Amino acid sequence: MRVIECSNLTKTFFTKKALNKLSFSIEENKITGLIGRNGAGKTTLLKIIAGFIKETSGEIKVFSEKPFNNLNNSAHVIYVDDHMSFPSTIPLLELLKVAESFYPNWNRDLAMRLFEYFSFDPKTYHHRLSKGKTSTFNMIIGLASRCSLTIFDEPTTGMDESVRKDFYKALLKDYIAYPRSIILSSHHLSEIEDLLEDVLLIKDGKTYLQMPISELKEYAFALQGNNGEVFKLTSDKEVIFKNHIASNVTYVIVKNDGSKNLLQQARHAGVEISPVPLSDLCVYLTNETNGGIEDVFNEN
Amino acid sequence: MYSQYQLAEMYTINPATAAKGLNLLVDEKILYKKRGLGLFVSSTGKEIIINKRKNFTLKGLVRELVIEAKQLQLSEKELMMMIKELYEEEDKQ
Amino acid sequence: MSLTRTNLAKTIKKQYFFKLKANITSFTLLIGVQLLALLFSLGGVASSSFGSSSIRLNTQYYTADIVIIFTLIWAFVMAITITTKPHRDLDFTFVTNRLSSSFANILYLLTVSIVGSMMAILSDNLLRVIIYTFLDKQFYSSTMGLQEFIMGISITSFYVLMVCSIGYFVGTLVQISSLFTILLPALFFGSLFLRPSMDEKPIITNAFEYYLLESSLTLFIVKIVITTALFFTISTSILNRMEVRQ
Repeated sequence: MRVIECSNLTKTFFTKKALNKLSFSIEENKITGLIGRNGAGKTTLLKIIAGFIKETSGEIKVFSEKPFNNLNNSAHVIYVDDHMSFPSTIPLLELLKVAESFYPNWNRDLAMRLFEYFSFDPKTYHHRLSKGKTSTFNMIIGLASRCSLTIFDEPTTGMDESVRKDFYKALLKDYIAYPRSIILSSHHLSEIEDLLEDVLLIKDGKTYLQMPISELKEYAFALQGNNGEVFKLTSDKEVIFKNHIASNVTYVIVKNDGSKNLLQQARHAGVEISPVPLSDLCVYLTNETNGGIEDVFNEN
Repeated sequence: MYSQYQLAEMYTINPATAAKGLNLLVDEKILYKKRGLGLFVSSTGKEIIINKRKNFTLKGLVRELVIEAKQLQLSEKELMMMIKELYEEEDKQ
Repeated sequence: MSLTRTNLAKTIKKQYFFKLKANITSFTLLIGVQLLALLFSLGGVASSSFGSSSIRLNTQYYTADIVIIFTLIWAFVMAITITTKPHRDLDFTFVTNRLSSSFANILYLLTVSIVGSMMAILSDNLLRVIIYTFLDKQFYSSTMGLQEFIMGISITSFYVLMVCSIGYFVGTLVQISSLFTILLPALFFGSLFLRPSMDEKPIITNAFEYYLLESSLTLFIVKIVITTALFFTISTSILNRMEVRQ
C-alpha cells in the first residue's frame, strides 16, 4: 500500500515555482528522509501532504485521498515543525490533554513519560519555552499522536546534542513498537542517516533521486591522487564533484558504475579510493556546479 | 541471535538496515534460519568469520602496509624487522 | 489498510471547547469593557430640568445602553480576531479542516453573543444598584420581570451575533487581501455621507433603521437570522479555499 502518491506536482507562489512537476511515491511503514538544500521545496511539499496548502497543478494522494482541506487527512497526518502554534492560555500539561482528545491513537503513557523525562513544567506555557524546548515539546506531540503518517520538518531545531540523540532513539523505539510511515526532513543527514530506510532527494522542486539508503551509500566513491592518474581513471565516469587540493593532487567524486577492477587500477596508480559520507554526497549532488565554494575563490 | 528489532534498538539504526545486515550474514552462511524460531549462528560461523578476516581484512591491511613502506622507500628486510619487533613486544604483554 | 473515518460533528465539538479554552481571556476583556461602559453610564445619558422660582426639578436618565454598545464593539473585535492568521493556525495544529474550523468559530461567536448579552443586561441591574446606593437622589426605576429579562438577553444576543457575523466577514475579507483594511473603513465612513438625495438620510442610517425600527418581533428575528446566516455562509465559503501556515 502506498501512503503518498504524487505525479507532476507543481506549486507556484506568485511567479516562483516551489515545486516543479515533482513525482514520487512512498510505501507504507517506512522512515523516509527528505533531503534537499534550502529552498529546494521540502517544506512546501510537506505542507501540501499535510493539507495546509493546495497544489497548483498535478496530482497528490495521501492514503488514497486528496489531502487539501480533508478532515480524514488531518486526523491521519501530523506535521511537526518549530512553528506549530499553541494557545498562550493553556498550560503544557493541559495541551497534552487537548491533543489526546483530537488524536484517536494518542499514547498518553508515552507522552507523559517523555514529558517528565525532558522535565517540562506542567504549569508553564508554550510561548515561554526556549527554542530547543519548543522543538522538544512539539516532538512529543508528534510521537505520541501516533498518526499513520508522521512528518517531522527540521524537528531538532535548537535542541542540544543530547536531546537530539534522545529524540532519534525515542523515534526509533516508538517506530519499532508501533510501525508507521514517517518522513524526516533535516539538514543534518549525518545524524539521521542510520534511522532512515529510504531517501528522497529533491533539487529545484523536482525529485532528484529516491532510493534505499543502503544503495545511496554505494552510489558514489571518491578518488584522490595525482592529477593525471585521477584524470585517467575517471575519464569514462560521471563526475559529481571535483576539487584541486594541491597543485598536483585532485579529489574527485564519481558515480559508482559497478566496475570492479577500478580498485585494483587505482591502487597501482597510487590513487586513494574512499567512500563518500552521505551528507557530503547529498551536498555535492544538489550543488549547482561541481566545484563548490572553492570555485568562488578560484579566479582562474 | 538478536532479532533485527533488537539490533535496531541497540545501535539506533533502522530495522530494515539491521535486517539487511543479518541477510548478508545468512548469505555467507554465518547465520542460518530456523523456521518460526529466527536466526542462529551456524556451527561453521566462527570459522567463516576468521577465514574472512584473514583473507580480506588482514590481507588488505598488509597490502597498505607494503604500499606505505614502498612509498617511504623501506626495504622488505627493514619492514620485516619492524614487524618482528612489534610481534615480540605484543607477546611480552 | 483502512483508516478510520473522522466524524465532522465530533471534531467541531472538540474544536469548540478547545477554542473556548484558548480564548478565555476574551471574556476577562469583556468584563473590563463593560465596567468601563458602566463608568460612562454613571454620568447619565440625558437630563432635563424645569422649575419655577421656588421649585427646581432636575431629572437624570440612566441607562445601560452604553454597556450594550461597548459589548457590540467588543464582539465585533472578537469576531475579526478569530479570523486572523494566528487563530487559524491554532486550529491546524490539531485535527481540522476548514469547514469544521468555521463551524467551531461560529459556535464560539454564538457563545460570545450570549455571554456578552447576558452580562450586559445584568450590568443594567448593577447600574440601578450603584445609583440607588451611592447617588443621593430620589430614584425611580422601571421594573424588570423574568420574562423581560430573558427577552432582553435574547434580543441583545441577536444583535451581538449579527455584529459578530459582520466582524467575521470583515475579518475574512482582510485575510484575502490586506487592501480591505483601508477599503472597508473608507467605505463605511464614505457611506455616512452617501445619501440618495440631499434631504434624505445616509444609506447606513437606513440600514440601521431597517433592523432597529422593526416593530414585529418575528420579522425582526427573521431579518437578523437571514443577515447573520448570509454573512457566515459567505465567510465560510471564502475561508474554505484559504491556505494556512504558509
